[in-house]
Amino acid sequence: MNKHVKTITPETSDLSRRSFLVGTAATGLVLGYAGVPGIGEALAAAPANFEPSVWYAISPDGLVTVTCGKADMGQHIASTMAQIVCEELGAKWSDMRVNLASNDPKFNDPVLGAQITGGSWSTMMNFDAMSRAGAAGRMALTEGAATAMGVPASELVVRDSVVSHAKSKKQMSFADVVKSGKATKTFTPDELKAIKLKTPDQYTMIGVSVPQLDIPSKTNGTAKYGIDVMIPGMVYGAVVTPPVRYGTTVKSVDESDAKKVPGFIKAVTLDDKTQTTTGWVVAVANTYANAKKAAAALKVSYDGGPNAKLSSESLLDEAKRLQGLDDSGQFFVKDGDVGAALGTAAKVLEAEYTTSINIHAPMEPMNATAEFKGDILHIYSGNQFATRSGAIAAGAAGIDPKFVVMHQMWLGGGFGRRLDADMMVPAVQAAKAVGKPVKVIYTRENDMTMDFSRPLTYQKVKAGIDGDGKLIALSHDVVSAWPTQRWGIPDFLSPSVDKKGPLDAFTVNGSDFFYTVPNHNVRAIKNEMAHNATPSGQLRSVAPGWTFWAVESMIDEIAAAAGKDPAQYRISLLDGAGKNDGGAQRLRNTLLAAMGLAGYGTKKLPKGEGMGVACVSSQERATASWTACVAHVAVAPSGEVTVKKLTVATDVGTQVHPDNIRAQVEGAALWGLSLALYEKATLKDGGIEQTNFDGYTPLRMSQMPEVAVAVIANGEKATGVGEPAVTVVAPAIGNAIFNASGARVRALPITAEAVKGAMKA
Amino acid sequence: MPTLTINGRSMSVDAANDTPLLWAIREQLQMTGTKFGCGAGLCGACTVHVNGEAVRSCQTMVGDVAGKKITTIEGLSAKGDHPLQKAWIAEQVPQCGYCQSGQIMQAASLLAKNANPTKEEVVAHMDGNLCRCMTYSRIQKAIMRAATEMRTASAAGNERRPT
Ligand code: FES
Ligand code: FES
Repeated sequence: MNKHVKTITPETSDLSRRSFLVGTAATGLVLGYAGVPGIGEALAAAPANFEPSVWYAISPDGLVTVTCGKADMGQHIASTMAQIVCEELGAKWSDMRVNLASNDPKFNDPVLGAQITGGSWSTMMNFDAMSRAGAAGRMALTEGAATAMGVPASELVVRDSVVSHAKSKKQMSFADVVKSGKATKTFTPDELKAIKLKTPDQYTMIGVSVPQLDIPSKTNGTAKYGIDVMIPGMVYGAVVTPPVRYGTTVKSVDESDAKKVPGFIKAVTLDDKTQTTTGWVVAVANTYANAKKAAAALKVSYDGGPNAKLSSESLLDEAKRLQGLDDSGQFFVKDGDVGAALGTAAKVLEAEYTTSINIHAPMEPMNATAEFKGDILHIYSGNQFATRSGAIAAGAAGIDPKFVVMHQMWLGGGFGRRLDADMMVPAVQAAKAVGKPVKVIYTRENDMTMDFSRPLTYQKVKAGIDGDGKLIALSHDVVSAWPTQRWGIPDFLSPSVDKKGPLDAFTVNGSDFFYTVPNHNVRAIKNEMAHNATPSGQLRSVAPGWTFWAVESMIDEIAAAAGKDPAQYRISLLDGAGKNDGGAQRLRNTLLAAMGLAGYGTKKLPKGEGMGVACVSSQERATASWTACVAHVAVAPSGEVTVKKLTVATDVGTQVHPDNIRAQVEGAALWGLSLALYEKATLKDGGIEQTNFDGYTPLRMSQMPEVAVAVIANGEKATGVGEPAVTVVAPAIGNAIFNASGARVRALPITAEAVKGAMKA
Repeated sequence: MPTLTINGRSMSVDAANDTPLLWAIREQLQMTGTKFGCGAGLCGACTVHVNGEAVRSCQTMVGDVAGKKITTIEGLSAKGDHPLQKAWIAEQVPQCGYCQSGQIMQAASLLAKNANPTKEEVVAHMDGNLCRCMTYSRIQKAIMRAATEMRTASAAGNERRPT
């Protein structure tokens, strides 16, 4: 897919503008702007401001506006970036403001070299750059103030946006220094790198739950999301999406009834060379209500294409077939000799785990507004991957990506859905066809049936234990669509250990856990049929959402077979041997914290109730956050499961904003619960059957259990918190169900029928 | 052209009678605080008040509300300082924030009638409002906080106004 998207070439950009930037990756995905007429204007900032770094500007009134290159979808990352800058800069929190970045490459992630938000990476990867940017600003302001006041810079103290000199009792506010024009110091990358940053004991902002800067605007209706964009002369597009998720073509469009709708302008059949969409038609009208009426009145006939007969069952059957083949897939982990070890094992266990198709369904349906102005295509949309999405928009317009300006908006939920750019294609092609700016808004039905969903997955795990119950071998096959391979960006793929070509690690991450298992295989197997029929995406936490479902359920099964307490069994596997040193101990401690907080093993529970544990190291092994959960459930004889309490402990290293961490962990844990019990999508005749919140049913308030969160901040580097708790909950619940009722469930979502069916008579 | 009374002002909208109120508010009147989430009465993102009752504006047609008093999030308070809005900030409720206009409008209709709701009453009243970021526990806390503040304020008001 996307083979028509222009390859984006790295380009050295204007170094004078980025001299404050540390470690801006020269590799990766950089959109170039040099020499494009009009682009400077489109991206320009107010000239009178003091801009010590691309990341922020201080205006003459003393307000510090931080530009956030990350998509803010509710994780308050913009506010967090401001907080990190504020710490080193020495500004007053009430002077801080935030701004969302365009796709100008100067705002690229300093580590990733692109604009992409996901993986719970943002705080971890931007902490250093933002700290240095803040410190550089403080130093420049201090020197400026020293010159203006005629005192030595070394005697100045910066606090609460004021530079003061104790001896002479002189002081200047940031506003005064900026107005004086004396803050002129610049830094080379080496100088920036040499700045001595504060040590944690000197922090006054990091670790404080300051009021999030975006929250007031989200209580009074003023926060602007993509759907709220209004452009003069704009018209609206409603999409007619085909009954089959992918692979259809439009045979004919009959507009005769649509023409009777007042305000109808045109029906545009998409010609999507980026292959992001297939068989879509946009009805354009003067209002969205009329566009929707016109869309409903269009009679479109389709060629259903190669996937029109497929169902969830066919995808699962295909997965099982592929898993059964010896030469399927590529190895992600290959430690020791699994085959031999299984041969010597005292006991071999085998289990199959599945997860259903899941839909992101952020509350703000997908939307985008496109406007051609001169040579420049302007896109207004909340998006998590401006670098790639801009290229898709360009591909849809048939222009070079450097002519696309992406205007970031607040995201009404992301969860990985807004890494994709499908919503831009109809907006761009409709705008081109009618010669006016067009805002396309998906109906919830479009949004659900055309999601880049979490793929249906099938996993087979085989484990061998020795006579003492010790786990000596584990073989783990993961069969799924490959969400990240779909992007067509080689950098996001990983080499396989058996050198059979790159694999999509975003399908197997998590399976390379921190348990010590001497003989361990993980095979990543691409389900081509599912890949084509249900183009998949990254859903909050991606692979660990299914790999830990299998691993953490299986560990429980193994512990049961060995006659050991499942929590103690995990602790013995987390011995920190070899490559697991460090990580394993942190995970063990986190598990112990969750057990302590939940009172695991300390109380006798009533009949039909039980506790289950799970611990995870999502996301990638290299970017792990240590998270453990104890689930307390009650299981009725009917198989009905009530989750009474979730206790989640997470080791975040360093807390930038304790209250936000709690909010994220709690939201993530409830997402985990929602995926474990309430969310299921199915494919039939090539199409997603669920179309709205009646068929696809995320957790509501009445289904919310008590959630207790323990945050461990042990001074290690800050880790991500938006995702890990999603992945730990389902296995903890499954294990609790087993503990409560003896029923082992292996399919997500867990249903009462499955629980009842698995109960011993 | 139907005339609507929104947030105390009377405005005429260029929309057919069978246009959902949601789109008239958002597009014709360019008040975008009221959100579109499902278009089917299933999520509550579009909640506004009609004569003080919380209704789903995606399911309410412009023709049905002529002459009635409509309030949107923009009109809930003059300065964004309704006790619920203050409580929402105090409890730091919003994540993405997209559902929150609807949540606040839904909650406001509860507190207007019941100044001392139980947790069960809050859940029953709010269950139709989805929050995909799952901010439910903070929503509950904020409603309780606002209810307390409103009761305290009205008790203080009563003391100052002896009969
Ligand atoms: S948009 Fe009206 S209830 Fe969802
Ligand atoms: S805050 Fe995001 S949907 Fe509620």
